[in-house]
Amino acid sequence: MEITADAREQGLARPSLSWMRVVGHIGRLALGLIFLASGVLKAVDPAEFAHQIAGYGIIGPQLARLTAPALIVFEIALGVALVAGVRPLLTATASILLLLAFIAIEAYGIAAGRTESCGCFGAYLKRTPGEVIVEDFLFIGLALLAILGLRGWAGARPGRAAVILVAALCLSTAFVIASPSLPIDDVVTRLRAGRTLADLDLAARLPQLAQGRHLVALIDVTDPRAAEIAAALDALASGSGAPPVIGLTPSSEQEIDAFRWTVVPAFEIKSVDRDVIKRLYRKLPRFFVLDSGRVVAVYDGAPPGARDLLSSESS
Amino acid sequence: MKFHERSWRAPGLLPIAALALLAPGVARAQALAPGMVCKPNYDYSVEVDGQFPKNATFYQGSDPGMYFVDVPACKNGLLMDMKARKVTAVPRDLVKAVDGGLQLASAVPPTSAAYALAVDQSVVKFEAEDKKVRILRCLDRPPIVGAVDVDTLVADRPEYREGMRAYAPNAASIASLDKYPKKVQIDAFFATWCPHCKEYMPKFLRAMSEVKNPNLKVNLYGVPKGFGTAPGPWQGRNVNYIPTIIVKVEGKEITRLASQPGAVPETELADILKAVN
Repeated sequence: MEITADAREQGLARPSLSWMRVVGHIGRLALGLIFLASGVLKAVDPAEFAHQIAGYGIIGPQLARLTAPALIVFEIALGVALVAGVRPLLTATASILLLLAFIAIEAYGIAAGRTESCGCFGAYLKRTPGEVIVEDFLFIGLALLAILGLRGWAGARPGRAAVILVAALCLSTAFVIASPSLPIDDVVTRLRAGRTLADLDLAARLPQLAQGRHLVALIDVTDPRAAEIAAALDALASGSGAPPVIGLTPSSEQEIDAFRWTVVPAFEIKSVDRDVIKRLYRKLPRFFVLDSGRVVAVYDGAPPGARDLLSSESS
Repeated sequence: MKFHERSWRAPGLLPIAALALLAPGVARAQALAPGMVCKPNYDYSVEVDGQFPKNATFYQGSDPGMYFVDVPACKNGLLMDMKARKVTAVPRDLVKAVDGGLQLASAVPPTSAAYALAVDQSVVKFEAEDKKVRILRCLDRPPIVGAVDVDTLVADRPEYREGMRAYAPNAASIASLDKYPKKVQIDAFFATWCPHCKEYMPKFLRAMSEVKNPNLKVNLYGVPKGFGTAPGPWQGRNVNYIPTIIVKVEGKEITRLASQPGAVPETELADILKAVN
């Protein structure tokens, strides 16, 4: 609480939370929550964020794999710092610099002809580069409000601020490292039992899956394990009563052909636009059984056994 | 169904068989069981000695890994066995047309010539009857670039011809377009290397071919890869995606159509024109 000079002179200690100060806090909290949400959504699938960074063509895939987790941790820490009021002017200024860097990258993407979605909020929330630039300018507006409104406000005490920052860095780093192994695919992807083809955005693309039972394999045909997976699926499909198998992949048509001609799978493989299929997995391979266009079972990492398929039928 | 005896792959015969396969026409083919049905697959193109002959067709067999290649200039049909990595000459009298496809009418004689095939990334290549044959994605053919008319397009690109043939436009939308009174110019920018165009454009072209209204004029432009920087009629038109169908009524651009899964182009166009009218 601050005491104004006039109030002190008059001996009347009363709060002087001006409108600007309130607006500054709103800007700080809003920006902090945005960075926090953005960082956590990216942390859910750091590999995808690395892929998206590499997609800009500014740095290579290997450097992107290192940059992505660092950027995620930084964003989460910045978000926590803003929310907790750690060095508010410094964190708001850092936010502006980060947002300007994002705008510059998006502008480069547009200039280079990149039209697909960015990775600003992870893989599961899609906007175009133009939308992102507009949003980033709005976020810069929030940061400016925080700077203008919080002048003279020191924020959290240094000792507490240090503890908050260290905790945020440690926890976010741990989350980024652990998240690919956490069993959260059903929560963070669209693919789960009960979903329909339309929910998966596949109804118009693969209308043939709307009828009957199908085992759908989400695979990366460039994965060295793909041949082994194809052999397992071929064996599965040859069993009596087994549903027909179809492979869906984010790989290119050329990669599918290279796989088709060398491995010679007995099932059809189709390329699906990456921004559509990516919403169905964090890690490949993933498998699911469709019955009359509705997902009845999902299997991660390996094809289901014949017994699993039977049990999914009875369920 | 098994098509091949495997005895020729016995270890002792393997080097001889390999040598024989490298000499076209010398190897003895395995006996092939009859009955396999092959359906044309227009996703692939057949290149023969660097050209793409009309009516050279790639067929997908009903058995996994089995394909049939019909090159009109070849005396025989060519049966590709991807598992055995070889191509067998099939006398044409053993192949009969059935229900839009082909069927091997009887067993291929074991004396038929066989040829080695090689896989180079996404391309299958072999040499048969002194002709160099490559099987590649139709999207990987050299693109059509610049202004093109529908007849030239469908004559050169079977995937467009067959896509048009398979599509049944919405009759009510065609009737609505037939009655449209204003001058409409449609500039369609598409690419023969673009999978979305391959899905969408045949529908659009079939629909436009059904419209008998002289007020509707369609201009087709094939776009090259890297069209953002390549010179051509797409420049200065704000064409960022393909396909982009620019619709002008009385000289004024009113909308752009683009490919969407499950799109019905004639209905979309008819609805927009009706709203404008």
